[in-house]
Amino acid sequence: MKLFTKYSRVNGTAAIVVLLLGGLCYYFIIRYVLIHQLDNTLKVEEAEILDHVHTQGTLPAPSHYRDQQVAFTPSEKWVARRFLDARLYSAEGGRRRPFRELVFPVEVGGRYYETSVAKSEEDTKELLGLIVLITLGVIGLLLLIVLLINRFLLRKIWRPFYHTLGALKQFNLSSKPLTTGGHTAIDEFRDLDEAAGQMTAKILKDYEILKDFADNASHEMQTPLAIINSKLDLLIQNRSLDERQTRMLQDMYDAVGRLRQLNQSLLLLTKIENNQFSQWDHLSLGTLLDRKLIQFDELVVSRGLRVIRETAEQTVTMNSYLADILLNNLLSNAIRHNREGGAIEIFLGGGRLVIANNGPAFPFDPSTVFDRFVKNSHSGGTGLGLAIARQICDNYGFRLSYRQEEDRHTVTIDFKPAV
Amino acid sequence: MKLLIVEDEKILCDSIVSYLKQENYTCDSANGYASALEKTEQYDYDCILLDINLQDGNGMNLLRELKSNNKTDGVLIISARNSLEDKVAGLQLGADDYLPKPFHLSELGARVSAIIRRRNSAGNNIIRLAELSIDTQARSVEVAGRLLELTRKEYQLLLYFAYNKGRVVSKNAIAEHLWGDEMGDAANYDFIYTHIKNLRRKLIEAGCGDTIQSVYGMGYKFSIS
Repeated sequence: MKLFTKYSRVNGTAAIVVLLLGGLCYYFIIRYVLIHQLDNTLKVEEAEILDHVHTQGTLPAPSHYRDQQVAFTPSEKWVARRFLDARLYSAEGGRRRPFRELVFPVEVGGRYYETSVAKSEEDTKELLGLIVLITLGVIGLLLLIVLLINRFLLRKIWRPFYHTLGALKQFNLSSKPLTTGGHTAIDEFRDLDEAAGQMTAKILKDYEILKDFADNASHEMQTPLAIINSKLDLLIQNRSLDERQTRMLQDMYDAVGRLRQLNQSLLLLTKIENNQFSQWDHLSLGTLLDRKLIQFDELVVSRGLRVIRETAEQTVTMNSYLADILLNNLLSNAIRHNREGGAIEIFLGGGRLVIANNGPAFPFDPSTVFDRFVKNSHSGGTGLGLAIARQICDNYGFRLSYRQEEDRHTVTIDFKPAV
Repeated sequence: MKLLIVEDEKILCDSIVSYLKQENYTCDSANGYASALEKTEQYDYDCILLDINLQDGNGMNLLRELKSNNKTDGVLIISARNSLEDKVAGLQLGADDYLPKPFHLSELGARVSAIIRRRNSAGNNIIRLAELSIDTQARSVEVAGRLLELTRKEYQLLLYFAYNKGRVVSKNAIAEHLWGDEMGDAANYDFIYTHIKNLRRKLIEAGCGDTIQSVYGMGYKFSIS
């Protein structure tokens, strides 16, 4: 639930409850005041009648008007004076109408009379209704206006917040730190902007440091590796080595070779991440693919693989070195992880490159295939080939995907993915 | 032949010196920018092996210094920064070749020999080893005047052996030389074995004698007298 909706809901409910209670109170208070006023008029009438009786010694003539009635009823005893609401027939006849009545005793010539002065409540009722209606209308209108203002004003006020939120959602490690926009006068949102800006700047800085570290570490490793390699090269010149020693030396060579490859792959990955290959060309992928297949021909033949290819003209705009590495990694994977005598299917065209190969299913989760160091434990690879491929694709906005069906592995690159 | 090895990592420098000395090069070494500058000003070298990242200066500056003094010494850059930009910049500044660390000494030896050959034997591109002659320009091989048909890989292999004759070259170095990084670790030693077997057979058939010996299955040694 949106903050605004929640807020409106609470606010609206409270307003309606208050409005109802307020309206009720208002009704009773107005009614009390109006009745009180009516009673005062009745009291004036009472005073006039008493005055008349006092001065003239007779009862005044009873009257029977539409809105006022005075009646005298002989009574046995001295009745109690009281106000009451009654429904009486008015002069016009018809049905009974509401009247406010004051009943009081008078004594004329030793006889008791119960005097009733009644005033029609109809006008009062009408007035009360009108007042309540107008008041309710005004309050309702006010509530509506407040709601509308809330809706539009709040939306406008919250806009910077949604702006910041959107920027945060789109933030990734290759983007710039969030700029503290200053397009809001609201302190809370300005604070949020500032905090987000600082946080992203710090994230980027930390990431930069981490990358520099990986870069430097890899570079620093080159020299010791060069030393080990050179010492091995010298050691094998020795004529007095026996077979056991040379086997150990061979293992060391292989290990150093792997380390070197790992190191170079890590360096390459960092460089691609850092966008250090900024030059680009329009490349014909078909031509590039042909060249790669010739390069790998020896390997393909030695493993008895069948290459099935269906290629149309397809150009991409990217760095030629990276294009070479991309094809290299995908093809060498398709060859290396193939089974003896398996097939490599290559489809190029329509903005897509698909490379499929046979091979046993992975022992790991196929969705992690593009992650770093994910590989078959017995594979001699660095586990970085597909990570590099993905990084290259990410840099150019290509979509790299992988699908596994039984013993068939398919890697697809969409050069112009629908966003 | 006189070489200068500019490398501040003394242990590595020692390895390089002791490997190249077997090829009858006279090796001088400098462990920093200042001493390298001093030596290049005093002597002429056939080839300078230049590390870019020196403690007291950038090897690139030494290269600029050499070129502005019209020195004709061959230069092979050996760098821990395997970057395309460094390579391009170095070659543009007049370096003859670029070799990223870590490298095999046999690769280094081959590169150095190639540079020296290119510089010294202007117009003469023939390497002669007994009855074997390799034309590095035409990429052709003759044995006692008769053309020897070799595949591209076999030719590369023979040239590599020729540059490292009399020394054991490891299989790893051969694999890297023939395939570079292009196949990653997909290259396997069976290919080397096939190529070597064929080359060896062709050389024997051409009357060169058995010139390629396997050394405990770990490497090969090319010897010709």
